[in-house]
Amino acid sequence: MIRLAQSGCLGVTVIMLALMLVGCSSNESAQRGQELFDLHCALCHEGSTPDLKKQPPRLDHLFAAKQLPSGAPATDAQVRKTIVEGLRTMPAFDKRLSEQDLKDLIAYLRTLR
Amino acid sequence: MLRCTARNRLISRGTIASAILIGILFATSCTGRAKKYPLRGNVLSKNPATNEITVKHEDIPGFMPAMTMPYKVKDPAVVQELQPGDVIAAEVVTANNGSDYWLEDVRITDQSARQSAKAAVAVHRLDVGEQVPNIPLTNQDGKSFRLGDFRGKALLITFIYTRCPMPTFCPRLSGQFAKIQGDLSKTPDEFAKTHLVTISFDPKYDTPPVLRKYGLAYLDDKPAGFSHWDFASTNPSDLRKLADAFGLEYFEEDNQISHTMDIVLISPEGKIVKYWATEWTTAELEDALRGQAKAGKTNERRQTQKRAG
Repeated sequence: MIRLAQSGCLGVTVIMLALMLVGCSSNESAQRGQELFDLHCALCHEGSTPDLKKQPPRLDHLFAAKQLPSGAPATDAQVRKTIVEGLRTMPAFDKRLSEQDLKDLIAYLRTLR
Repeated sequence: MLRCTARNRLISRGTIASAILIGILFATSCTGRAKKYPLRGNVLSKNPATNEITVKHEDIPGFMPAMTMPYKVKDPAVVQELQPGDVIAAEVVTANNGSDYWLEDVRITDQSARQSAKAAVAVHRLDVGEQVPNIPLTNQDGKSFRLGDFRGKALLITFIYTRCPMPTFCPRLSGQFAKIQGDLSKTPDEFAKTHLVTISFDPKYDTPPVLRKYGLAYLDDKPAGFSHWDFASTNPSDLRKLADAFGLEYFEEDNQISHTMDIVLISPEGKIVKYWATEWTTAELEDALRGQAKAGKTNERRQTQKRAG
């Protein structure tokens, strides 16, 4: 029984360490995403620049709803497409963000709930 | 059994302690970031009249990516002291959600490039009253045209690139032109005597289909609007000639184009009437364009009367 409990404890610790590593890694990705968001997205999506054709939507609950502000499904693939290709008056970030940048940005947007 | 339970409690306490320790480690290892707006860059030009300098700067985390843009400087004496080519460090101070910004605490960190930069910015901008350059352009439909084709109409020209992510730059310019387009459409006489042209800094990416898609977003998806507002590009060497003629600075770096801004008003006779490079309002642009359209109509009437007489 003691052995079982010891091995259980070890198992829990290993799982928690693994979760910590995964969690830390995804948290670091989201943190990098936040830096990219502040650099490339916040001025439009969190500011209020006068004279724009349309004020860009805030992205606070982007993934909380089933649909994006455009009406498209709220999926990673759709958000990636919007960032890369642009949408309406939103500029395309084509060739300016790496695949890792896009993953980090989406990881951050997923934390905005 | 009891021993076993006691032992289990000890193990449970150990597990909880481990979890707390891991939690603390987790929290301390993955948090913490301060927002600052330090600027480092090269001074490309200065305008003591408006107290502004144009700076090619590095990324400003939390504010904007690497870019060339004009900045107001709080202390006019600093503008006097700075020269093109100076490498500076400064603080960007922002207000109103970043839409108002200026530089403070400007320090020159390197003056060694002063002379060469002076030579580099010696571009001759066409003076008011000079004829608009007749450089060939291609519009959103792939149709060729020249700025000289709009004789009889007052022309408002600006420069953008469709991937510009700076709301106070290209998206603002296009938003202002869209407002002017909409307002003018309510007065058919002036609408018929005016025209808008938006020219891309990025001919490699901004092909006619890209410009068409971009234009439609600003024309509420009504292609008829293109008859009054062209979205155009030209080859890189003609673009450079056109930009030099209008005193614009731009260069491409990492798929991003750093550029200064310019709006140019052309008279119905094809002559440069006015430039706006730093401060303007939509109403000011629209009034000036309407004013030129009216002046053009008056001149037209005089000429008709002369011919009849």
